[in-house]
Amino acid sequence: MPTYIIRRLLTLVPMAIVISFLVYLGLELTPGDAVSHMIPPDGIGSMDPERLQMLRESLGLGQPFLVRYWIWLTGVVQGEFGYSLSGGVPIAQIFLTRLPATLELSIAALVISSIAGSILGTISALTRGSKTDQALTTVGMLGVSIPEFFIGLVAILIFSLNLQWLPVGGRLMPGDDSFWDRIPNLVMPALVLSIMMTAGVMRYARSSMLDALSKDFVRTARSKGMPEWRVNLLHGFRVALTPVIVLIGFRLPVLIGGTVVIEQVFQWPGIGNEFIASVRAQDYPLVMMIALFSVIAVLLASLIVDILTAVIDPRVRLGD
Amino acid sequence: MKKLLTLTLALVVQVSLVGGAAAQAINDNQLSDPRVRQAIAYAIDMETIAETLFEGAAINAVGLLSNSEFYPEGMDAYDYDPDRARELLAEAGWDQGRVLDVVYYYPDQQTADFMAVIQAYLADVGMQMNYRLLEGDVGAQIALPPEDPVNGPANIDWDILYGARAALALQEYFNRFGYGLMPSIPNIEEMNELVEMVNSTADPQVHRDGFQQMEGIINENAYILPLYYQQLYIFESDRVDRNGHPYGNEQYNYNWGIVDWEVEPNDDGERVIYTNAAPQQFFEVPWQNLGIWVHNRYAFDTILEADPNLTPIGGELAETYGMSDDGLTFTFTLRDGLTWHDGEPITAEDVAWSIEAAAQLPVTNPVVAATLRRIEGADALLAGDAEHMSGIAVDGNTVTLTFSEIDPNVLLAFSQFAPLPASYFEGTDPLQLQQNEFWQFPIGSGPFMIEEARMNDFTTLVPFPDYHGGVANIDRVIALPSADGDPNLVRNAAAFRADVGYTKNVPDVAALEALDHMSVIPVNIPYTRMFWINQFPMTN
Repeated sequence: MPTYIIRRLLTLVPMAIVISFLVYLGLELTPGDAVSHMIPPDGIGSMDPERLQMLRESLGLGQPFLVRYWIWLTGVVQGEFGYSLSGGVPIAQIFLTRLPATLELSIAALVISSIAGSILGTISALTRGSKTDQALTTVGMLGVSIPEFFIGLVAILIFSLNLQWLPVGGRLMPGDDSFWDRIPNLVMPALVLSIMMTAGVMRYARSSMLDALSKDFVRTARSKGMPEWRVNLLHGFRVALTPVIVLIGFRLPVLIGGTVVIEQVFQWPGIGNEFIASVRAQDYPLVMMIALFSVIAVLLASLIVDILTAVIDPRVRLGD
Repeated sequence: MKKLLTLTLALVVQVSLVGGAAAQAINDNQLSDPRVRQAIAYAIDMETIAETLFEGAAINAVGLLSNSEFYPEGMDAYDYDPDRARELLAEAGWDQGRVLDVVYYYPDQQTADFMAVIQAYLADVGMQMNYRLLEGDVGAQIALPPEDPVNGPANIDWDILYGARAALALQEYFNRFGYGLMPSIPNIEEMNELVEMVNSTADPQVHRDGFQQMEGIINENAYILPLYYQQLYIFESDRVDRNGHPYGNEQYNYNWGIVDWEVEPNDDGERVIYTNAAPQQFFEVPWQNLGIWVHNRYAFDTILEADPNLTPIGGELAETYGMSDDGLTFTFTLRDGLTWHDGEPITAEDVAWSIEAAAQLPVTNPVVAATLRRIEGADALLAGDAEHMSGIAVDGNTVTLTFSEIDPNVLLAFSQFAPLPASYFEGTDPLQLQQNEFWQFPIGSGPFMIEEARMNDFTTLVPFPDYHGGVANIDRVIALPSADGDPNLVRNAAAFRADVGYTKNVPDVAALEALDHMSVIPVNIPYTRMFWINQFPMTN
């Protein structure tokens, strides 16, 4: 296994370089640059183009594309993540302030959806064909079908504006110093974000459980007179869990980039919100670092999922 | 004889209807024909659009400027007249197979709806158009003039642009008519001269004459089609009492008397107001967008003070000030004992450094920048041939500025100009002033100082105890992050998290007015939405 892990880690490097180059190229092909986005269109006609060009030069935007990419890449390799072009804020600092917010939201949603989805999916499988199963399947379909932003807005309307139980948005307000102070702000976005994921995990867990329950070893366990709950939990559920873990494992890195909509709806100051803002501002050092981070997170998650799968399911051998 | 009279009458009518313009195309682009542009103006029922689509929150425009005192006699309002539009198009021999490419840069739904309405109105008179949202580098797509400002071809690829002009000084509406600056209209010598005239004097009578003449020329030839004037809407919760201080153009700095405001205490007995426009990543240099961010007016004071209409009325940081008779020397003396929020004294050297830095900063507001760049020695400083402007002299608390030529907006510019503490910027390249770490927690000079700045979460400000104008009656200002247009405004207002601020978003206005605890006050500002028509020959 260690050889496999090292080999996989080494393959991350060329993949990350290729992907980062493609993202950089995409930015290059987009019209405009960071300076042109500093001036609102209503005011652009009054600005001095020569001074703007000087600003471009001073920010290094006048250099050829490949030179800029090379400077950025060698900087990253040396641990210099650079500065946001629009405000000069160190990118490391932006990550340090934004990433915890996104991780907080993503992990909360992941935990909620994993537990709820696995339990509901298992119940659905064990009561296959019953009204409970049908109801859960219908709710699951709705959860997958209704857009997150819509659920988010409805939730704000009901729980924030009408009932006034939860804050309308944001992560922190003055005086919210501890994690527990932030819980009221976290509840609604985490629940809304978890709805679609819960539905997905539930459907996956249901079919995986049904598949496991039809296996010979389950029939053998039953024929040995093992109690039904024990058969379901120890034999069925354990085996059914493997593909569900794969699904959940892949969700975390996707969540880091996939919370964009929820972050927008709930004014959540996470990395997704920052990514949108930096793409709009053509702030390429920041866009590149967020993209690179997301790529590495996905690749690492894939590796971790492989390892976990091997640990849970003895039939899986890594590196064979 | 009768035939001759009829012919003469027809000619007179035609000349009067097209306002004396050279009623024909000046190049192979039919949009260079004033009759076609006038037809477009006649084809659009702006009054109905203002009442319906804009729910009454738009004022039908006649000239570029909303103030009719700057109009000459006989301005044509181009009231809706589709029959007249069809006649003019027929006279001009409009090619009905041509599909106009209309572009815009506002991504909101209302603008898209507006485009659809315009499409229908033009179709009704026999003009086809498609519309598209400009994305990416909008500036390069709308503002690049052609290399040959007389004959073109155009450096832009659209036929009609829907956009706006927002102005601090009224000259901004016309300055693009200077030679070689206009991306969509072949050079007009008469306009070049008028632009130069209004920019070379501070005499209001000359300005008025110049504006009237330029408005007349533009209106007569329909060079630009003003559509409507947009107001700015100040919102205020019933917890706030401004104590009679007037409402003004919130996008800029004016005396809003915040030190005298009263606020109803919350359950904890604290007098807190919520607002928006807090930073998302950094505080913007207050010389760029002069009043729109929370720190602009709460945390920074300007040299002079303006009234709600942005007319300079007195000193703010300056105790006294004066302009020489020849209009070339501006002198002001700072109040005694002024300090920055960190307790350090505000010095005339800080002001001198700020003037030089703002002149070099590429994104400084164009009116302020134009004024500062007319100080003697500014050219040498900008070219890198000098370290300082020779036209700035400091003596104790007094700063004397000598201008190389008359600038029409000296007092206006200094009523918007907030100096910065120079000590924080030692060694900073003026081009990259915004990249200084100062902008994570700026030290200002205004009635409130920044207490806590959690980027993208909130910013809190508390009264500055040593403020020269007295200590505010508000214990804390909590500002939530947002850009100029705040998409979360209505939600935050409904949740009692927006007590004061402004919006230009019409749908937000109706939603805010529907909240029992909110009131909305419309304010007239120089902001005109218009059609620019590309009258150059196209490259393809």
